[in-house]
Amino acid sequence: MTGKYFGQPVLRLEDKHLLTGRAKFCDDIVIPGMLHAAFLRSDYAHAIIKNIDVTEARKHPGVVAVYTAEDMGDYWKLGPLQVPPPFAIKGAQFNARTLPPIAKGKVRFSGEPIAVVIAESRYIAEDACEDIIFDAEPLPAVIDLEKAWEDTSVLVHDDLPSNMAALVKQESGDYEAAKKQADVVVSHRYVADHVAGAAMENRGFVVNWDERTQEMTVWAGTQAPLPLRSAIAGRMGLVENQVRVITPYIGGGFGPKVMTSQADDVLLPWISMKLNRPIKWIEDRRENFLATTSERDQVHHCEMALKNDGTILGFKDIFYHNTGAYDPYGMTVPLNTQTHTVSNYRVPNFYTEIRMVFTNEMVVTPVRGAGRSEGVFVMERMMDLAARELKMDPVEIRLKNLLKKEEFPLNTGVIGQDFVVGVLDSGDYKNNLEKCIQMIDYEKFRNEIQPKARKEGKHLGIGVVTFTEGTAVGPYEGARVTVGNNGKVSVATGYSTQGQGHFTVFAQIVAEQLNVKVEDVRVITGDTGHFHWGAGTFASRGATIAGSAINSAAVLVREKIFATAAKLLDVPEDQVELCEGSVCVKGHPEKSVSLGDLAGKANPMRGAVEADVKPGLEATAYYAPPHGATGSGACAMIVDVDPETCKVNIERFVLVHDCGTVINPLLLEGQIQGGVSMGIGNAFYEKMVYDENGQLMTASFMDYLMPQATDMPKRMEIGHNVHPSPLNTLGLKGVGEAGALPPPPAFCQAVEDALYEYDLDLTESNLNPSLLYKFKNEATKR
Amino acid sequence: MNVEGEYIFNGPQQAVYEMFNDPTALATAVPGMQKMVQVDETHYEGAIFLRIGPISAAFEGVLSLTDVNPPESCTLNIEGKGKAGFAKGVGRVKFTDIGNNQTKLNYSGEVNIGGTLASVGQRMIDSVAKSMIKSGCEKLQKTLEERCQQK
Repeated sequence: MTGKYFGQPVLRLEDKHLLTGRAKFCDDIVIPGMLHAAFLRSDYAHAIIKNIDVTEARKHPGVVAVYTAEDMGDYWKLGPLQVPPPFAIKGAQFNARTLPPIAKGKVRFSGEPIAVVIAESRYIAEDACEDIIFDAEPLPAVIDLEKAWEDTSVLVHDDLPSNMAALVKQESGDYEAAKKQADVVVSHRYVADHVAGAAMENRGFVVNWDERTQEMTVWAGTQAPLPLRSAIAGRMGLVENQVRVITPYIGGGFGPKVMTSQADDVLLPWISMKLNRPIKWIEDRRENFLATTSERDQVHHCEMALKNDGTILGFKDIFYHNTGAYDPYGMTVPLNTQTHTVSNYRVPNFYTEIRMVFTNEMVVTPVRGAGRSEGVFVMERMMDLAARELKMDPVEIRLKNLLKKEEFPLNTGVIGQDFVVGVLDSGDYKNNLEKCIQMIDYEKFRNEIQPKARKEGKHLGIGVVTFTEGTAVGPYEGARVTVGNNGKVSVATGYSTQGQGHFTVFAQIVAEQLNVKVEDVRVITGDTGHFHWGAGTFASRGATIAGSAINSAAVLVREKIFATAAKLLDVPEDQVELCEGSVCVKGHPEKSVSLGDLAGKANPMRGAVEADVKPGLEATAYYAPPHGATGSGACAMIVDVDPETCKVNIERFVLVHDCGTVINPLLLEGQIQGGVSMGIGNAFYEKMVYDENGQLMTASFMDYLMPQATDMPKRMEIGHNVHPSPLNTLGLKGVGEAGALPPPPAFCQAVEDALYEYDLDLTESNLNPSLLYKFKNEATKR
Repeated sequence: MNVEGEYIFNGPQQAVYEMFNDPTALATAVPGMQKMVQVDETHYEGAIFLRIGPISAAFEGVLSLTDVNPPESCTLNIEGKGKAGFAKGVGRVKFTDIGNNQTKLNYSGEVNIGGTLASVGQRMIDSVAKSMIKSGCEKLQKTLEERCQQK
């Protein structure tokens, strides 16, 4: 489906603002009389608060106010559960322990806020934080996920009998029965380690309570402006339209910015109203590392039952999932893991069990990949393990078990993050893999390139994996499309943007329907003053969910244009058509009316009003999917490993994906490349490390290694398969996380293949040269 | 973090042991140490200014001696707190006469750190601790020589 604008490689409209420094970010907001906030955060991971003495801080010149939990009175309340508990799943157990806005009685992770200082400048506020005397009695920290689950563990929440945050079991078929039929059973333990969202811009929050208008305006770097608005209004006892949340340009989201009800957005509106002054807080990098949210961190115990010919009979996966000190974001991440462990292969019998544990670490919420990465990692590693056991080629065992396109739509029998049973809607998974191995010249590599390299003493290896990406889940999004009197079109949606290119793709959808230039479509995202219904930016759902709503609204406007124009031009509706920027009578381009003039006419004056008046060339529409749309793909890489230093270079990288209909091939490639850099970061660079006392040892970019341009593959190719989703009019599926999912398992497989002299068994998703060296030294030499 | 090592002092065991129990000697030996005051027989209060990579901050703390067994061994317990975090450590020191008027110091200990010190300084703290111990011992050797000459 390619049109004049839709499906075309339109350059990003937002880039001229971003690249010339004209975009307005949170920290660019300056309001006269604005104060600045700084948080004092706990150095201890787990401690009982004895006393917080703020006397000296309050006396600090330039300090306006200092607050601790004690000063907040009844306003101090535990935060909301932002995602409902998974009670759609039979027998699910879930202990909600939501986020306190500021620590009271006990601190449960290093970085937890304990006091906030409001001062004339950020410098003063930070200095005054140092005047606060925090007296606490340290407790042992809960860090190890498997030990945390045991009854003997120290408790993160004293009122619970254990550190169990949740226990969720799902089964389709009967794994134990299938195991009895198996020729081979393989089992293994895998670790998917902890990573940060690490957006270029940290979080930010500016709030202004206007006493005279009784309105509060908030500028926030959030992925969820509408839930944020509702939460603030609810806490402050205001009606929703008294609070306007504006998301300015945001330098990356990647998941953690979906969280609301953290210290900043709970405390600062309250303080702003109390002091009747605007307040700004911009998160610094260390705060972001310590106390925003992060993800991954699971330990899996997997078992796979197979026939000798490689046919999978069943899969069992019991995994520990770290939710951190609190679980305000419910179970989105581990449920995604459950649905992604087996979604690409035919697994007739599947048992999966989530053991979600509280630890003395920062809260875990989605980071690009959001549980899918871990599911894909363990399944692909288990496929490699089975292939090794059965002496099969890794590609062969995958081709044998991949779902066939004739099987769709396929009910997976596993309930996902949207609390409905998963349905794989469309795709051709086998063709993704076939295309991928063709693009990377798999046969040639195995038969010619690799043997030759080995003779020369080089260690080249290849890894090939497949994946699915569950995207575009509900609940819903909406949009309003309006033609202005100048003939230009505006689109407002509650969906917020963090650099994905929404200003361009949303404009393309509207431009196609209304036959106006893409640059004549002005898109407003994430401003609750412009559109006040919606959920938020997560789960690769922007183009699909908000995009579908925008398309529907544009179709309605188009119908209204035709009706209004036909009346004005005095011809039947089927006799008018859209010319660029105007409506004309078919076959008579001289008989036309510009869209701007038509918009003026659509706003009737006195004497022209009809009883059922619906003014303006404007329409609002919503879209809610029955369930998510599932993208799919395959990924291959060739690596060159130096066995002595364990440095790994990625020589070639191929990713074939299917996200249904493509709105903009240029932006699509950008999304995938960005995802791949994150996936490669996960595979060999990024890792959050806590010591046994719960101290985060990687709280700066000196210790938390981000991949750089020079770490990217020397040669990268992307292949496209297009199987439109039957779930929405445009046939869209999301693709925001696709690139991030397959690199870690493909990397492991390729490195094992490269270091062929060793019986290497890579069981962790986040490697680095030192860790790889350790694995290599522990491996037996063949 | 674990520290472990040895150092050979040119001096008799008794003199080395006494020096280790003398707060003024210790205070001058530790780089950045700003004060060291004896509170009672086994407790000292001190203040130190440390530079660890990007962190430079003042810490205040208490040093206490336990398992005192002159002139052979003792255990040093440190608990310090500052704007850049906290540290809590135990160090065991043992002195052995190895003849030739030489005394061998064996030390081993664990230090737990928290706050900025851990999240930003962890990577550097090993080498900082090693270099502090090394320069501290060298300084103490000089003090020891001066003391022995005075006698």
